[in-house]
Amino acid sequence: MDDILIKILGAIATVILAFTVGMTYGGLSRKVIARIQNRIGPPWYQNFIDNAKLLFKVSNINHGFMQHVAPLWLIGMSVTTVLFIPVLNTGGDSWYNSWFPNLNFHGDLIFLLYLMVIGSLGMALGAGQTGNPNSAIGVSRGLTQMVGFEVPWVMALVALMIQYKTTSITGLMAAAEQQGTWLAFSSPFATLAALLAMPGMFRYSPFDIVGAPAELASGPVSEFGGKYLSTMMTSGSIFAFVKLTLYVDIFFGGANNLVELVIKTFILYMYPVLWGAVSPRFRTEQAVRFFWGWPVLFGIIALIQASL
Amino acid sequence: MMNINDKHSQKIVDIIKEYARKQSLFILAYGTGCGAIEIPPTMTSRYDAERYGIRGAATPRQADVLLITGYLATKTLKRVIRAYEQMQSPKYVIGFGSCTINGGMYWDSYNTINVLDKYLPVDVYINGCMPRPEAVLAGFDKLKELIQAGKAEGWKHYQENLDWYRENQKKVIVNWQMPDYNW
Amino acid sequence: MDNINLEKEQQLADILSSDFTRLDAKVVRERRVEAVLKSNDIIPSVLLFAKDKLGYIHFSHMSCVDWLEEGEFEVIYILWNPEEKINLLIKVRTDRDNATLPNIDYIWRQANTYERELREMYGIEFPGLIAAKEFILEDWQGMPPMRRDFKTKEYVDDHFFHRPGREDAQDVRETIANRSGEEIPEFAKKFSRK
Repeated sequence: MDDILIKILGAIATVILAFTVGMTYGGLSRKVIARIQNRIGPPWYQNFIDNAKLLFKVSNINHGFMQHVAPLWLIGMSVTTVLFIPVLNTGGDSWYNSWFPNLNFHGDLIFLLYLMVIGSLGMALGAGQTGNPNSAIGVSRGLTQMVGFEVPWVMALVALMIQYKTTSITGLMAAAEQQGTWLAFSSPFATLAALLAMPGMFRYSPFDIVGAPAELASGPVSEFGGKYLSTMMTSGSIFAFVKLTLYVDIFFGGANNLVELVIKTFILYMYPVLWGAVSPRFRTEQAVRFFWGWPVLFGIIALIQASL
Repeated sequence: MMNINDKHSQKIVDIIKEYARKQSLFILAYGTGCGAIEIPPTMTSRYDAERYGIRGAATPRQADVLLITGYLATKTLKRVIRAYEQMQSPKYVIGFGSCTINGGMYWDSYNTINVLDKYLPVDVYINGCMPRPEAVLAGFDKLKELIQAGKAEGWKHYQENLDWYRENQKKVIVNWQMPDYNW
Repeated sequence: MDNINLEKEQQLADILSSDFTRLDAKVVRERRVEAVLKSNDIIPSVLLFAKDKLGYIHFSHMSCVDWLEEGEFEVIYILWNPEEKINLLIKVRTDRDNATLPNIDYIWRQANTYERELREMYGIEFPGLIAAKEFILEDWQGMPPMRRDFKTKEYVDDHFFHRPGREDAQDVRETIANRSGEEIPEFAKKFSRK
C-alpha cells in the first residue's frame, strides 16, 4: 500500500517539477532573447502569469469535439511521456530519489519514440477541425518538419541501441555508468546527429516554420484561445522538460540530483534558444534539407561505428 | 476542510485573477491606421513593452487587447468588429490617436467613422496625432489601473447593449453579412 | 538658363499635331509635352501610336479633374519615354452626365486599375473594362464620392456621429496673448471665438 502511495505522490511530484522547470525555462528564454536584443525583457515568471491569465478567461470557444479534445490529448501525452523518462540516475543518494523512478523500467526507447509523436497527431486532428487555413498549413509543415528531424534522431538512437545492445533508457544509462564516461564521448557521431536534430524539436528559429507568427498567424494553434491555449502551453512546457531530460539521460550521463539536472538541462536548452535568437526562419524545404544533410551523414557514420 | 467558495478564499482568487489579467496583455497585431507605425518602437528595444507583460498575439482568439490605431474606414470597421467578436472575454479596446476620439483630421470624410465608442466599447483612449510610445505605455498603465479596479468591463457592456451597438454598426455597414456573435 | 534645348520636345509636338488632325500638341517646358484631344474616339489610336511608334512604353498615371462649372470631366493620361526622357500628357474631356470614355486596358494592363478607380470615384464608364465591379468602396450606393457636387458634410452628418465639443473650449491664440501680454493683430480678430 505504501508502495503505491509513494508511486502516486512521486508521479505528481514529477509532473509538478516538469511543469515548473519547463515554464521557468520558457520565461528565461524570453528574458535571454530580450537581453540579446538589448531589451530588459519580461520577468522570468512571465509565462506563469500568462498561463494563469489564459485560465481565467471567461469565454472559451471551440468549433467541435476534436478541437475540445486535442489539448487534453496533448497534455495526456506529455504527462505519460514524463512518467516514462528517468528523471534522475539510480546512483544518486538524495532523499527525494525514491520519488522519481515512476515507470521508467517499463518502457523502452522505441516505445518512447512512438509516444512522442502521438501528441502531434492529436494536435493535427484538433487543428484540422478548426477550419482555419493557417492551421492546415501549419499542420502540414509540422509533419514535414517531423519527417525531417526524426531521421537523424532515430538513426542516432538506433546506433546507440546496436552499440550497447539494449533498447532501454535505463540500460543505456547503466552502460554509461559502467564504462565511466558519458555516451557523448564513447559514441560522438550519434550525439552529433541527435544534437543537430534537436532544434527541430524545439521549434525555435530557424525551425519555427510551424508557428511562424507573422506568416501563419501561429499556425495550428491559431483558433485556440483561453483555456485551450493554456493547456497547450502547459503541455509544451512539460514536453520541453521531457526532451531535455531524455537528452541528458542518454548522452550526457544523467543527473544524480536535481541541481545537476537543472544545470545540465539549462545549458542544453540554451543551445536552440541562442541559435534561434540570431537566425531568421527557414522555409520548409530548407529545414528538411538541413536535417537530411550533415545530421543524416553523422547518423550513418554512427551506425557504421556501432556495427563495427 | 476549507471551502473554496467562501468569502476569503474567493478574495485570494480575485487578487490572483486581477494580477494575472493586468500583468499579461496580449495585443492583437492588427494595424488599422497610420498609428500602427508607433507599435514597433513600443515593442522593440527602445521602449520594450514586453517588460510590462505586453506582448503581441497572432490571432484574435489568443488576444486580450484590441488596439484601434488611428482612423477607421467603414470598410475596416467591419473587419475590426469581426476581430473583436472573435476575441475571448475579458477583452479590452484601446482607441489610439485623435481619429478614434472625434475623427481627427478625417472628421468630414465620406468613409471614415468619427466616434469609435458608438461602435465598440472603448476602455482607454490615448490622444495625440500620433501618440508617442511613451503615451502608448501610459495608456497601457491606465488600462492596468482600470483592470485592477475592476472597471475595464467594456466587454460586459457590449454584451448587455448589443442591440444598441448593432444598430449603430448597421447604420455604417450597409451590407451586413456577418456570422452571429458566439460568446 | 537660356540655352535650354527644346528641340526633341518640339519635334514630338510636331509629329503628334501632323499625324492627328483633332489634336493640339504643345511644349509645356523641358521634358514635358501636352496634347489636348478634341475627340474621345481617337484616344486608343493616339496611345497606341505613342506606345508603338514613339517609344512611350511606360504608362505612369491616369487621373481625373472635375470641371463642375463647365459640366465636364477632364481625364489625363501620363506616359513616359525612358529613351527620350519626356513626359507626354494626353488630356481629354467628356461630358459630366453620362460620362463615357474608350477602354484602354488592352494597351496597358495596369491602366485597368486606374480605370476601375475612376469608374468608382467619378462614375466614368469604360465599355469593355475587365473586372468592372466594386473596387475600393464597399457596398457604396448613391453618387460617386469624388464628384465635386457630392455633399461630404451632409453625408457625414447623415451617416456618422459627431462628438460635441467642450463647452469651455478656449481660443488658443487668445490664451497665449493674454498670458504674454501680446496684442492680437486686427486681421486675426475675426477668427476669434468670441
